[in-house]
Amino acid sequence: MEFAHYAPLWAEALLTLLALIIVLLGSLMKNSGKLMGGLSAAGLVAALGLVSSNLTISKPALFFFDTISVDGLSQFFKAVFLVVSLLVVIASLSKYTGKGADEYYALLLLATVGMMVVASSIDLVTLFVGFELASLSTYALAAFDKSRKNLEAAMKYFIFGSVSSALMLFGFSLLYGMAGSTRLADIAAASLANFGPATLVALIFVIAGFGFKMALVPFHMWAPDTYEGAPAVVSALLAAGSKKMGFAAAFRVLLLALIALRLEWYLAFAILAALTMTLGNLAACWQNNVRRILAYSSIAQAGYIAIGFVVVGAAYGAAPVLAFSGIVVPAAQLGIAGALLLILGHALMKTGAFIGTSQVASMVAAGSDGDPDDISNYAGLARRAPITAFCMLIFMFALAGIPPTAGYIGKFVLFSSAIYSGLVWLAVLAILNSALSLVYYLRIISYMYLKEPAGPKMAEQKGYVVALVLTTIAVVWIGVFPQSFIDWALQAAAVLLPQ
Amino acid sequence: MYADYAYLIVGLPVLAFLLCLFLGWHLPRGGGFITVLATFGGLIISLGIFNEIYPDKIVHQSMPWFANFNVGILIDPLALVMLLMVTFVVTLIHIYGNGYMNGDPGAARYFAEAALFSAAMLGLVYSDNLLQLFIFWELVGLCSYLLIGFWYRKPSAAAAAKKAFLTTRVGDVLFLAGIILLYNNLASLNIALKPGEFLLQFPVIYAHIAEIPPAQLTLIALGLLGGAVGKSGQFPLHVWLPDAMEGPTTVSAMIHAATMVTAGVYLVARMFPLFYAAPHALTAVAAVGAFTALFAATMGLTAFDIKRVLAFSTVSQLGFMMAGLGVGAAVGAMAVGVSIFHLIGHSFFKALLFLCAGSVIHAVNTNDLREMGGVGRYMKWTMYTMLIGSLSLAGFPFFTGFFSKDEIIVIAYEYGTMINFLPYIFLVLAAVLTAIYTFRMWFSVFTGKERSDYGKHESPWIMLGPLVILAVFAFGFGIASQDSFYSYLDSNFEHYGVNFQELGIIGGHVLEGEHGAPEAAGGEHVASEAEHGENEAHGEPWYIQILPIIIALGGILIAGLFYWDKIKRFDPSQVTGDTDPIRKMLLKGYYQHEILTAWFAEGVVYGTALICNMIDIKLVDGWLNWLSAWVMGFAKNIRKVQTGVVQNYVTALVLGIVVLVVVISLAKEVGLV
Repeated sequence: MEFAHYAPLWAEALLTLLALIIVLLGSLMKNSGKLMGGLSAAGLVAALGLVSSNLTISKPALFFFDTISVDGLSQFFKAVFLVVSLLVVIASLSKYTGKGADEYYALLLLATVGMMVVASSIDLVTLFVGFELASLSTYALAAFDKSRKNLEAAMKYFIFGSVSSALMLFGFSLLYGMAGSTRLADIAAASLANFGPATLVALIFVIAGFGFKMALVPFHMWAPDTYEGAPAVVSALLAAGSKKMGFAAAFRVLLLALIALRLEWYLAFAILAALTMTLGNLAACWQNNVRRILAYSSIAQAGYIAIGFVVVGAAYGAAPVLAFSGIVVPAAQLGIAGALLLILGHALMKTGAFIGTSQVASMVAAGSDGDPDDISNYAGLARRAPITAFCMLIFMFALAGIPPTAGYIGKFVLFSSAIYSGLVWLAVLAILNSALSLVYYLRIISYMYLKEPAGPKMAEQKGYVVALVLTTIAVVWIGVFPQSFIDWALQAAAVLLPQ
Repeated sequence: MYADYAYLIVGLPVLAFLLCLFLGWHLPRGGGFITVLATFGGLIISLGIFNEIYPDKIVHQSMPWFANFNVGILIDPLALVMLLMVTFVVTLIHIYGNGYMNGDPGAARYFAEAALFSAAMLGLVYSDNLLQLFIFWELVGLCSYLLIGFWYRKPSAAAAAKKAFLTTRVGDVLFLAGIILLYNNLASLNIALKPGEFLLQFPVIYAHIAEIPPAQLTLIALGLLGGAVGKSGQFPLHVWLPDAMEGPTTVSAMIHAATMVTAGVYLVARMFPLFYAAPHALTAVAAVGAFTALFAATMGLTAFDIKRVLAFSTVSQLGFMMAGLGVGAAVGAMAVGVSIFHLIGHSFFKALLFLCAGSVIHAVNTNDLREMGGVGRYMKWTMYTMLIGSLSLAGFPFFTGFFSKDEIIVIAYEYGTMINFLPYIFLVLAAVLTAIYTFRMWFSVFTGKERSDYGKHESPWIMLGPLVILAVFAFGFGIASQDSFYSYLDSNFEHYGVNFQELGIIGGHVLEGEHGAPEAAGGEHVASEAEHGENEAHGEPWYIQILPIIIALGGILIAGLFYWDKIKRFDPSQVTGDTDPIRKMLLKGYYQHEILTAWFAEGVVYGTALICNMIDIKLVDGWLNWLSAWVMGFAKNIRKVQTGVVQNYVTALVLGIVVLVVVISLAKEVGLV
């Protein structure tokens, strides 16, 4: 057992260790919030460095009896998770400084580790462990401010999450019963094509379990309540981070283990994607609470991302198409790459948007006892808090998919892959939905830029501003120089397809 | 070496935009000097590049952007002359703007938007592919919108901005459709692209025009023409341009006279090989241009707002440029040189005229010709520089406008001998009217009695300086550069090996090289002219050559007879009368407002809309109401669930699972998957 052999997993080890140290130090020191926040940020930066040192790993490195795989896909997701956590930590520096802050940062780090484990798992058991680590940590985080609203949000999240986990575990156990192994490769080898009712039930249970994290309709119902009620920075983590963990798990399990059932999950995801984006966007139009709008927008985005699965189901094994700039890739790979790009983009945009709401809420909360996230608080934000308003403007445009932003690039690649694989109806529906989504994004923008200010100019808190500006730069950067990101996503997507 | 910094031509104004936007409030004059420096830097770099590549090299830099698109810089003769003109004119206008906008509370915003506009226009000019050009095109449109509505608290300015934006949008949609169609056609050719080549790059487009089906080419060309018609204010999308005068006069000079509106002409020139190869496309260009030239000139005759006179004049002159390109059906690629020459010359004298008008307005505080008169006594510099601009516009011999406009008329004659005389007749009439309305304006501003009590002082030197420099160019540019300009521009498409013979066959143009010269004997072949850039010896009869001089002198004389007080006392009460039906029609701008807005928009469109509305309410809305009621009910039900009963969430989860299982089983049963 050489130490260097585990080099690709140092990032996870570092963060786990750091989380334990933070809890330990926190019990010894008083009011150490600033220090803990700084430590966490430093640890996340170091972990990001470690992950990016083998970002485009060519051959998968397998660990622990072939249950953990470090490959292009895992590194893609890990990078996304680490960036989201880092932004959340930076934003939290303004808020969590006092008593109990050590637990906050430790939980946040553990949640990140859980997500990273899921991204690497090629075994149902490790996957479940990672899933639960992330879930349990975020249950606690959602209740962290211990206000009534927090507790309600966390409670709903917890109950819904437990049921989903139970269903997912049930699905796993059925799969184990049929294949005799928990490793994804073995499950794929056991012929599941001999269709039996149990197989379908197992598949749907697994999809429901992941769908809970992804917040696909009808497994989404916890999301608006929780995103609205949890501390805003935690909502950012849930929407941008743990939601993407659901996709990471679904990609691995469905494409590696259950590819024999692709026609079944193709149909399931076609229904789920169409339902999710339409209902998400429709529901968002009626909301007045900005975090609820963002929650529904996040649901709608999950619907777009789910198109990736439909594309794979429709075009798996089909001949490569001439896609962009002379690259010849299978439409399935393009679909996964598009989903990955949208995952990356959405992680950034949504983190930024939730941090923005946190900024506004913290500024408004001082002076009023109404709902701090009500859209009326955003009136004239451009004059009250120009930097926040401008960053929010970019995030809204990016979420709506307007170029040149990360949101546009993701949608562009994903929707084109849908067209290439003959799913024109789905692409059209998605584009119509994007147009519909402008209704509520522009509504927020019009409040920020066209309404008379609801109060005097406010002091913008530094931690939030740093996180917002960094995110904005990243969102625009990906939009303006997308090619390297497209290449990266294509390369990560190749892991899931037979060479 | 300078070519390595070509990106800075756009980069510097972008930087100036950011600086003025964020820091302008703290700087003197709103940070206007930054904007001046930025475009001046662009001028220096452009001159350096000119020095490096003239006369036979081009600059092409490109890098992949994403998917099938790239970003790149292409500086060929066509782009280079535009770059030089835009940086030069815009720098002068920014200097003038420092004086003109002094004291305006929104000066910083003005200079930020002006800098962004400069960046967009320059980016448009040297884009190496159609998509990038379109992006800058839209950015230019946005800046135009912002600057027309600069005084946005004034309702008329806000309305004009909206009108400009919406009208040009009609053209832009067509333009975009043209791009998409072109892209699809090119993509279906399965071209084997070399590394670094992209489908929408101009060299690639030029190389593959001949392979696209002619009918498609015409559709593409008409789409692009739609964009050009919108941007360059050609009939019937010209309605926004006169209203655009609601912005500050510097904006009118910069955007709505010298630069932005020329983008449409530039687009047609840039895509000239495609227009040439597309059957009937150039006929449409010539028809639109010639008609607009005359149509707008007649309206220029009666307008009383000095800026509107100039605006109609701009529309009319842009019509000349379009017509110049359109008659290229007869004379081939040399039409590009002729048209662009007029474009450049026009930029100088029209910018000059607008800035002079701004100087007058700055002093007398009115736009109305009827309230001016005798201004020349107090504003000598403005009067004489404006005289130079007016002479140039009217086409007085040896002024810039004389060479450029008359060249268009002459090639229109050639077009006439070969194809159709209508454009020629329209252009000649328009030229007569041009001389008349120009001097009607000049005489009624500067001569005669003071017709109202206005401020009597000359403008500051920061405003007069640019006038003098522009006046030098408005006079001397033509005589100094005519021949070298034509030969330089004629070489433009040779860099890409465009074969106009081959394209002409596709486009159905009679080429003299093959069929013998159909025009008068002894006439030199136009094709060989295009190659050698010799423009001296046309085969036209002497009276055709002389006619433009007669036109200019005659027009000025007629204007003088009516408006010069030494001959006839100008009486505003006589010209206000709405009794004369022709004058009334011209004053009303051919009742366009009545026809387009009142009759077409409010009558036909609105009437149709009412009928649709009936159907809508009864059928669509009924269905939609039902749907939205259903959605609202659904949302309400969700609300009910969300009062705290988590069990219902879980019920939905389980129900979802059951439905999925049932649906998929059924689908398997039926054989759907």
